[in-house]
Order: sequence, then structure tokens, then C-alpha cells
Amino acid sequence: MAQLPPLENAPINLIGLRKEAQLDLVEALDSMRGRKLLVLDPKLSGPLTLIVQISLLKEHGVENLSHLSGDPIQSDCTNVIYIVRPHLTLMKLIAAQIQHDKRNQQERQYSLYFMPRRSTACEKVLEAEGVHGGITFGEYRMFPIPFDDDVLSLEHELVLKELQVDGDPTSLWDLALTINNLQSRFGLIPNVKGKGDAAKKVFSIMKKMQEEQALTTPEGQPEIDTLILLDRQVDLVTPMCSQLTYEGLVDEFLNINNGCVELDPAILGGDKKVKVPLNSSDKLYRDLRDLNFGVVGGILREKAASMKQDYTDVKTTNQEFSDLKKFVKKMHALPEMTRHIDISQYLTTFTRKRSFMSRLIMEQTLVEGQEYDICYEYIEEMINKQEPLISVLRLLVILSVTNNGLQKKHFDYFRFVELLQSYGWENLFFINDLERAGLLRKQESKSNWLTLKRGLRLVVSDTDDSNPKDISYAFSGYAPLSIRLVQHALHASGWRGIEDMMKLLPGATFEERQVKNRVKFKREKEKKSSVDGRRALVLVVFIGGVTFAEISALRFLSAQESMKHDVIVLTTKLCNGTSFLQSLQTNPLGG
Amino acid sequence: MAVSVAAEWSAIANRYYRKQEIYRMAWHNVELSGHKVACARFGGMIAIIRDDTKIVRLRSEPARPKLLIFRSSGLLVASITWDRPGGRLIAMGWSDEEILHCVMQDGSVFRYDVHGKLLPDKVWFGQECWDQGIMECIIWGNGIVCLTEANAVFCIPDLGSPQFVKLTQLTLEDPPHCMAIIEPQHTVSGSVEVLLAVESTVMVVDGGSIQDQGTTIGPLGKMVASPNGSYVACFTHDGRLLVVTSDFSKTISEFDTQSALPPEQLIWCGMDSVLLYSDDSVLMVGPYGDWTKYTYDEPVVLIPECDGVRILSNTFMEFLQRVPDTTVSIFSIGSTSPGAMLYDAYDHFAKRNAKADESIRMVGSSIPDAVEACIDAAGQEFRMELQDTLMRAAVYGRTFCRRFSKTRIRETCKTLRILNGVRDPNVGIPLTLQQLKVLTLPVLIERLVNEHKHLLAIRMSEYMGLSPETVVVHWAGAMITAATSVPDPELCNLLLEKLKMYSVSYAAIAAHAYRNGRRTLAALLLEHEPRSSEQVPLLTSMGEEEKALGKAIKSGDTDLVYFTLFHLWQKKSPSEFTRAVQDKPLARNLFIAYARQNEPDVLKKFFASIGQLHRVGELLLWEAWAQSKNPVTRQGSPLQGPRIRLIEEAQRLFSHSKEHDFEAKACDEQARLLKIQHELEAKTGKAIFVDTSVSDTIRTCIVLKNHREAQRIRVEFKVVPDKRFYWLKILALAYIKDWDALEKFSKERRPPVGFKPFVEACLQEGQTSEALKYIQKLSDPEEKAEAYAQAGMAKEAAEVAAQAKDSEILGRLKLTFGQSTTAAALFDSIRDRLSLQGG
Repeated sequence: MAQLPPLENAPINLIGLRKEAQLDLVEALDSMRGRKLLVLDPKLSGPLTLIVQISLLKEHGVENLSHLSGDPIQSDCTNVIYIVRPHLTLMKLIAAQIQHDKRNQQERQYSLYFMPRRSTACEKVLEAEGVHGGITFGEYRMFPIPFDDDVLSLEHELVLKELQVDGDPTSLWDLALTINNLQSRFGLIPNVKGKGDAAKKVFSIMKKMQEEQALTTPEGQPEIDTLILLDRQVDLVTPMCSQLTYEGLVDEFLNINNGCVELDPAILGGDKKVKVPLNSSDKLYRDLRDLNFGVVGGILREKAASMKQDYTDVKTTNQEFSDLKKFVKKMHALPEMTRHIDISQYLTTFTRKRSFMSRLIMEQTLVEGQEYDICYEYIEEMINKQEPLISVLRLLVILSVTNNGLQKKHFDYFRFVELLQSYGWENLFFINDLERAGLLRKQESKSNWLTLKRGLRLVVSDTDDSNPKDISYAFSGYAPLSIRLVQHALHASGWRGIEDMMKLLPGATFEERQVKNRVKFKREKEKKSSVDGRRALVLVVFIGGVTFAEISALRFLSAQESMKHDVIVLTTKLCNGTSFLQSLQTNPLGG
Repeated sequence: MAVSVAAEWSAIANRYYRKQEIYRMAWHNVELSGHKVACARFGGMIAIIRDDTKIVRLRSEPARPKLLIFRSSGLLVASITWDRPGGRLIAMGWSDEEILHCVMQDGSVFRYDVHGKLLPDKVWFGQECWDQGIMECIIWGNGIVCLTEANAVFCIPDLGSPQFVKLTQLTLEDPPHCMAIIEPQHTVSGSVEVLLAVESTVMVVDGGSIQDQGTTIGPLGKMVASPNGSYVACFTHDGRLLVVTSDFSKTISEFDTQSALPPEQLIWCGMDSVLLYSDDSVLMVGPYGDWTKYTYDEPVVLIPECDGVRILSNTFMEFLQRVPDTTVSIFSIGSTSPGAMLYDAYDHFAKRNAKADESIRMVGSSIPDAVEACIDAAGQEFRMELQDTLMRAAVYGRTFCRRFSKTRIRETCKTLRILNGVRDPNVGIPLTLQQLKVLTLPVLIERLVNEHKHLLAIRMSEYMGLSPETVVVHWAGAMITAATSVPDPELCNLLLEKLKMYSVSYAAIAAHAYRNGRRTLAALLLEHEPRSSEQVPLLTSMGEEEKALGKAIKSGDTDLVYFTLFHLWQKKSPSEFTRAVQDKPLARNLFIAYARQNEPDVLKKFFASIGQLHRVGELLLWEAWAQSKNPVTRQGSPLQGPRIRLIEEAQRLFSHSKEHDFEAKACDEQARLLKIQHELEAKTGKAIFVDTSVSDTIRTCIVLKNHREAQRIRVEFKVVPDKRFYWLKILALAYIKDWDALEKFSKERRPPVGFKPFVEACLQEGQTSEALKYIQKLSDPEEKAEAYAQAGMAKEAAEVAAQAKDSEILGRLKLTFGQSTTAAALFDSIRDRLSLQGG
């Protein structure tokens, strides 16, 4: 069982937030007396491990924990609590389990908790299946899950699909509610900026909610100063690029899930898989995670060398006890050190590969936006070699987005001849969905990528990875567009300074101020003067997911001397290019 | 003001009782005798109707009886001609909600609100009761118990949802002498207990069980339970008044009234004395057999309250209560309690008499107690001038206190204002402080609202810091009910003018308007409701589904959209539904998302009806795909027939429009591919072809060394490009390690992909020697160097690189060989050479 992230150094009280989520969960569990079986939505169990520990569940009568699946319930518990997201497909599974019990005359009490809220459509399904009457319904409110001191996520992976493919904006409503809940905790956020249609929509729902039910905010100065809402549609290029920070690479090659990475015995030694939590409680990791992987090896070597030096010093010279103590303290970090050396060594086996290098060159060529023909050739060869579809698509998407679509001949060729013939006709749905989500398109007008590239300085050459000056270090040369926008938003002139560029990007742009209606003007003024002393806190919300490399770039930004802001990230999902595209892949049997 | 407050008191043992006149009744010509009278508790309404079991001399009034409803002060609220069927009126009583319940002989119950409006819902005691006829009946705040002529006991335990139950059937020769109840809030079982005096004992009906208490104190002529249900006062046939515990196990006190006739009324006054009314006199008996008697020259009705008894006569309303302790301590003659001293001091002070100082000194350190006593006593008073004096005394005393809570005085003043406000004869609710505490302020406000005293109610709400919402909503509702002739827009404006001042639920008011048949008004009001979650369900239930859908979409709350969609779907015909949803993208999308999972056939029809045939095609393809994933259908139809049919049908649908050429072509290809794959499976006897791609199929053929089939498929799907075919074949041959075939293939003609794939394929299989054959054929030195490097041949790699004079490759190669120092040295030396030459 992984430990919960400590969250002690969070700029806002995330421990309190987590505590409330725990209490709500406990309340849901206690709504049923006696021992019970907890059936979890498989996609929720991971995030829930970041909120509660299993022992707490046991204390509240959870005898058994299982994942919702097509199989009947295997337990003699007469009380069953389901906690699920309100997804239609899950309802059929629940109905099937209850019907199975009925047929076998197994008497049970059922409680069904929806996270984040009850859904008429889901209940309709249960009604149609004839099990609605036997269930007690409840809601388990949505809490943003704290992954680290500065990272919150709703872990809602299907936002992009629901929003862009199905045209179902439920997730935006949920997000708006979440942000409003944060505001009622930490105060009305005075500055709001947003880019993209989804961002605009979220903010308008937030305002409408406040109209309908006045927000009760705590007295005094709001803890969060600025809210930046970014629609992923605005920047689809960045998540497709290979992340080159340490954390990003770990995610690309080893997959970070719910703040943990599962390591093979081949990497760490030993004889079974080990789950390693990756968050700022690991001090070494905190120092390494945001660095370009190119410099990680050097730093680890340096640290190892200094430890070795200390060791020889201890052995050879007479030292004071205090020095010894320091040394022993350092030795405590040894297991972490070994672990990260092992991980980085494992990662280099990938990064040294020529294919990896040539892929990076290809990505670079694409974001440079100068030469497309060799890219087409490269992608074609990938398909010929039957490389994984998602890997092919990541490049193809960059190509499509930077080029404002594929030329018609290429579009049909890739779509049809290459992808369907090579990977199977059922990908027709996938490709159609990619098209609906704006990831793969036919070119209809000229691309303005080059203008954007120049205007926003998206390609910054000759970066010194060990001592970077710009966020482009995270992708070795490409400055992530999303983070560049945040950088400009926090600039004194705001987005007005790059108005021309903002116009070229898709979706609405807005910068507004929220004022608590009852606060007197005078007090507002007083507050202003007191703000100067502290660093203002910025909440950056990514609607549709964010990658680790982008978060690293944000941290890098806030660590710059000129920057007067601390940053905290709220996203609908922590993702990488692969998981981002996979979220659009559907299975005909639901899911 | 009397000379001494205490002069009006009467003492029973060590306690004082006082009887004060509250109202002189505002009514005229009301004669209580010969009438049934029902008075609501907590100073509520009075209902009067002629008792048709008694002979009454009619004055100038019609023969038909009238039901009259008055405020406690005697102001007429309603007068209705009594024309109810059901035989004799057995009993009449008010519920806690101030609804008048009239129980008829045949078991039907008619209910009236305070305005004399008959409530529509039917309440009765059932067929059995109807057959037997009711003999006696007791109504309490939340229920009714009745005894039939055939000695059955029925009960309605909850007037909120009036369902009757039969409690028991007694088999008796004579009917019970009398009946009493203990209200459910005081019983152990939580249901009402019915006491029946049978012969010389008492039977207790509790829930379904019946128990003989086995006492011999009877026969009893009258019984009544004390306000807390723990004692019962009984009047025996020989004229004794007994107070016993409610389980009849112990007699607490006994008093001989020397009258064999049971009293007309037997009632508790508070917790410790009992009143008997008969023959124009009220006898009050205290706990130790002490008594006092009040005589009247007109008939009276005794109304029990939680802290005393109200006495209603033709001309006045009185309140009889035990004098509160603080009042006693201040006003009893010769009292030297701090409160009395303070009151005295203030009296002198008010008269500008210097003795004030002396008195206050005598109070000394107990001044806070004295202040507290005065405040408390003020709260107990009905007379405003006495309240005023006592409060002034308290404020005067407070100036001598070091610390005394200001809020205590303020709160009492506020409460007194409330009490005085409702005691006003025009309102006519003579509550005491104690009663208000029990009743609670919100309930009082609800009562006022029900009595249509909205203005007072809202002022009180605001004064006491309660939300005015319930009052405002009720007011608007009453307005709508009353203003039947005012046109909708006008009434709406009239309401809005006031509603704007408060934040209230417009939806609740609109719902009321809708129930009263004012649909347009409801719609107008709903426009002002800011909360979509309130607005949408009401619009839906009003049948305004389409409008509701519009509002739901605007709210951004998808759950509300679903809510209305399901309503629309259920109520409207498919074509109407389609029309309503068609041009609303959000509604359409949500419906599609739902139907795709749960109603695929409905969805197909939907798409077909809006002319989106290609979406139907997609659904068919989807089904075909689902079949391939579903193990049952997959095994069940090895011929793939149903799937192919689905796909072909989909193709037909796609080909309807040019835009979907792509999909149509894909379907066509897939159908052909499936057929070929099926043939292949039949031929090879291996179930490995179906559901793989064209490329996979070709590769599988090559792996199975069936080059002819591979070629056939390539031709069939002629779009497979040359390059890809080469890659597929190279990789497949390497995979089965058929090196000869690979070499032969490489020599067929100059490969369109060059020799690099050959090298890679060999190296992937670990065949360096085979790879070497092809490395030599590579023309590009960079590729060649890399290939050598991949094959682990550092020296060769370096040499090629050196020939190409490319130091960048060298650098990269060095990295590749990073581990081996000899190789690294080699690279360095070559690079040095290069740079020398270059420089």
C-alpha cells in the first residue's frame, strides 16, 4: 500500500481538502450498518488510494473490496456499497450483479454512490433493468485529488472524448463545481483568465452556479490570486511530443499511475515488481524530476561521488561527531539514490536507441514547421515496420495540428491505405473520433503555425540543458505552447500583449475580475497594498489533461527570479501523448 | 392596576394560582351552552357549532346549524352553513396544523382550514366503522381515536397521512363508561394508548394489544391523562377524584367531591392540579387535596394548555395558571427576595423618592439575581404596563451590576414584543412565554401565515432574524388563490413588485399557480427563477417540456437535460421527439450517447428519420465489430455471415452520400477481406486470420510459406504499396529465419526500400552474418556506419565514418559504444585524424 503524499509544503491547505474527502467517504461507508463489501469502479480505486488508506476502510466495516466487473459478486456480505462514476456502461454491470443475486435468491442491501453526483441517465438504465427500486442512492462529492504539493487532478480520463467526440459537456460542469468548491474554501479568486471554448464554458457555468446559489467564501484575503483556465484544444501539439524531463521520461517509458510507478525486477533487482511512489516526499526525486534527462545522469554521478568522498573522509580523517551525524544522515538517502540510478540507467537503454533519437529529430522537424515531406516518409516507414499505432499517430497528430490538417492526398492515403490496411479496419472509428476531436484533419486552409512559432518563440535553439533559460528545456528545444501562454498571462501586460497570437489560437480568450459583491470598495484597496509582500498564488487549470513535462516547465517558470508567482496545477487528468490518444480509442463492448 | 398584584391570587396549600382575563370576547350573541366548542391549543382558533343532541331555543337564526370559527379574542373568521352528511357530528377538534377535524357518526371525517374551507381529501374510518357507527371520539394534535357502538376501537395515528387502523374489538355487555388517551409522545411504545373504563377496571389498548389493568377503583365516570402522560385523573362513580399513575398501579391522591354526578369537564391545570367543571362552577383540586372554587353565572369551556388552563365563557377569555416562582418572589406580600427589593427600589426611583437608594443597598451583592428575576417575571406577564415596569426595574438594577448580559434583556424585550403582537385582539393568539417556547417561533409564524396574517408574520421573521421565504411564498400563493379574476400579467407584476424584495423560490410559487390552473402565470413567474434545477422540473411537469429543454440546455447542467429528455421521450411520439431534439446539439448528443448504449434500435430509427444514414451505417459497423469481440457470436457463426451482411448493409448506407466514400470503401474492403480470411482459415485449418488487418494477413501467409496467397491478397487489395509489401515480406521471412528465401527475395530486383530493412530484420533476429551480406550493399555511408555499429563492429563502423569524413556520426557512435573503452579510444583517434585533416 502506497503512502499518501505528505502535502505539507502545499501553498494551500491540501491536507484539509483530503481530510474532507476522507470524511465524506467515511460518511458514505457508515450509511450502511455492519460489515460490507465495497465495490469500486476500477478507474476510481487508483485515485482513492491517494485519499484514504485501506486501514481506514476496514475501520468502517469494509470487509472486502472488489472492482466492478461483469462477474457476479463473490461474497457472503449482505451489504454492498458501490462507488462509481456515473457512466452508463457501469450501470449495466451493476444491474447484472444485482439480477444475478436475485436469481440465486441472495438477499442483499445495495447502496450506490455516484461520484461526483447522481445522474438521471444512469438511474434510467437501472430502472430499465428493473433494479432501481432495490438500491439506496447517494453522492460522493467530487474532490480534486492531491497528487503532490502543487498538483491536483480529477483523474477524469474521458474529458476529451466526451466533450469533443460525443458532445457531452458534463465534465465541464463537474470541473466548474470543483473550482467553485475550491473558491468557497480558499476565497473568491480575483483574476480569471482563460483560453479556449471549454475554458469559456467552464467559467460561464461557474458564474451561473454562483448566481443560482451564492458562494460562501471565507472572510479575508483570498488565498489564490489568479485562475488560468486552459482548454487542451488550444495546444494539442505539446502532449504529443516526447517528454524529456526525468519525470516525463519515466512516464513515457514506465507509466506513472496514481503517483506511482511499477518497476520490474529487471530494473531494481529483487524478484518481484515493486510499486514506487513518485512525489516530493522523495527529496532526491524532487530535485531531479523537473530536470532535462540529459543532465540527470551527471547530477547522480556528482552526488554519488560526493558521497564517496564523504565516505573516504570518514574513514581516513578524525572527524567530529556532528560531521559523522551529517554523514549518516546522507547515508539515509542511499536507497533513493540507488533507485534513481537504476531507473535512469534503465531509461538510457531507450534514449540511446537510434530510433528514439530519430524520432526526436522528427518531432523537432515538425514543430519547426519547415519541412514536411521527410516526415511523411518517416511516418510511412514506421507503418511499414508495423510500429505501434499510437506511436505512429502521435507524430501524425503533430503533423496535422501544426500543418492545420493533412493535405487531402496524404489524408486519404494515411487514413485509408496505411492505417486501416495495416492496423485493421476497426480503427475506422478511432480515426473518425480523432478527426472529430480535431487531432487529425484534412487541410482546408493555410496553417498559421509558423507565425505562432515566431510570435511566441516556440522553438528556442541552443539551450543549455544543465542551466536552462527557457521552458523549452523540457522538450529540448520546443517551448510548450500551453506553458508559454501561462507565462504571458502572468506577465504584466497579460494576454493583451500578444493579442495577435491569441487570435490565431482556437477558441475564445477572456480576462476578467471577480469581485465579492458585498465587500466594500475601501477594504478591497487595503488588501491590494498588503498583497505586495507575498508571492501570489496562481491556479492553472488544464481542461483535458496535462503532461508531467508541462508541469515541470511551470515549476521552472515559477522558480525564475522575475516571477512573483507560485503555481498550483489542477487538471482533469495527468496524461502523456499515449494515454491521451488511448482515451479516444473505444471498445465496442463499452468502456 | 390593582393595589397589589398578589391580591388577585388564590392559594392552594403552599402554591398560588391566578386567573386573569385576557380578552373580553368580541362576539355577540354567542351562547356556549347547547353548542359543541373546539378550541385549538396554544391560543388557537375556536370552532362552535350547535349541538344537535341538545334542545336549544332558536332565536332569530335559521334552523340549519352554522359552523362558526373565531379567533381566541372572539373575532369571527368564518361562518359556514353546516350541511355535511354522515349523521350526527360526534366530535370536533383542531390538529397541531390548525385544521379542524369533524368526526361524523358514520366514521367520515371532514376537515376545514382556519378559513372554513373544506379540504378536499377524503378521510374516513372505513367500512366496518361505517356499519357500526361511532359512539365516542377523541381528537389530539396528530390523531383521532374512536369507539364504535359495537365496542371496536379505531385510530388514525397520523393526520399527516390519514390512514385508519383498527386497534381492537372488545366483547363487552355494556359499553365502556368512558374513554381517555395518552398521546403517543408520552407512551413507551410510541403509539397512542387508549384507556377504557370497563365495569370497575380499566382496559389499556396499546398498539394491537389490549390489557386489563386489574384495578378496582371503578367504575369510572370520567378520566383524563396529565399533560406529560404519567398520571391519570379519574372521577369515580361515588364522587371521588383520584389521581393515579398511568399504569393504574398506584393512587397518588384522592379527593371527595361529594357529588355523584361526573363533572361535565375534567381537565388538568399544568402538572399538579385538576379542574372539574359542573353546574357553573370550576373546582380546582391541588395535589394534597386542597381546593378552591370559582363560580360562574354562565357556561364555560376549559381549554388545557401546557402551563395552565384557558377558560372561555360567553363574554370573556381567562387564563388560569399557577403563579410563576419569580412572580411570587417579587409580588408576594412581604417578600424580601432580591427581586422584590429591586422592584421596590425602582418603584421609589420612579417616584423620585430617595428611599430607592436604601432599597438598592439592601439588595447588595445579589443584584444580578434580582435583575434576572425582574426580567423573568416580565416575561410571564400579560399586562403590558406591568411588563414595562418590570423591565424598567431590571434595566435600573443592571446599572448596579458589574457585568450583566445585555442580550438577555434585549432578547426578552424582543420576545415580549412578539408575544404582545400576537396577543392583540385582532390577531388573538394569547400565548404565554412558556407556550411560545414549546410551540417555537417558526411554528407560530406558520400559524400566522395560515391565518393570513402575512404582514405580521414577515415583520416578525425579519425582526427575529428568520428567513422570510416561507412567509413570502405563502403570501404569493394566497394571492394567487384569491385573485382569480386578475389577469395573469397584471397579477404577475403585482407579485413581482413584492417578491423582488426577497430572495425566494419563484418555482414554488409558480408550482402553486400551476396547481390552481394558472398556467400562464406559472410560466411568467418561472422566468424569474434563477435556479435552473428548480425551474426545469416544474416546466416539465407543466407539460412545457420543450421550454424546459431549452432552459436545461442553457444551464449547462447535463443532468437536467437528461431529465427533460426522458420526459419528452416518454410523453411525445417519436416524430415529435425527433423534432424537439433535432436542432438542439447538446440534447441530441446526449440522447445519442444514451441510446447508443441502451437503445440502439431506437437510435437507428432516429438517425434514419433525420436523414443521417451514414450514422446508421456507423451503428451497423459498430454492431459488427462488437460481434467480433463477443466470444459467443464469434464462435457461433464461423461463416462470418451475419457480420458480413451487417458490413455490406453499412456500405450501402454510406454510399448514399459522396462525403462518405471513404467509409463505403472501407466497408467494401473489410467485407472482402473477411471472406478471404474465412477461406484461408478453412484451407489452413488455423483460426488465425479473421480480425487481422490486410498487412497482418499477408504476413501470416508468408510466415506459413504460402507466397501465392500473399501475392493474391496483395493483388486483391491492390492498394498495398510496393514498399510496404517489401517490409512485410522481409520481416516475415526473417521471423521464420528463412535466410535463403530472404536472400533470393533481395535479388529479385533492386528492392524499392533499399537494403536497410534487410539489415534491420537480420539484426533483429540476431543474425549478424546474414546482416553483413546486406550491409555491404548499403550505399549511404552514414547508414552503413550505423549498421556496422548496430552489428557491434566498431572498427568497420569507424572506418566507414572516417571515409565519409563525418565527425558527427563518430560522436554518436562513440556514445553507442560508450561502455567499451577500447572502442572509445578508437573513435577518438579517428576523430582526431579527421579534424586534423579537416583543419
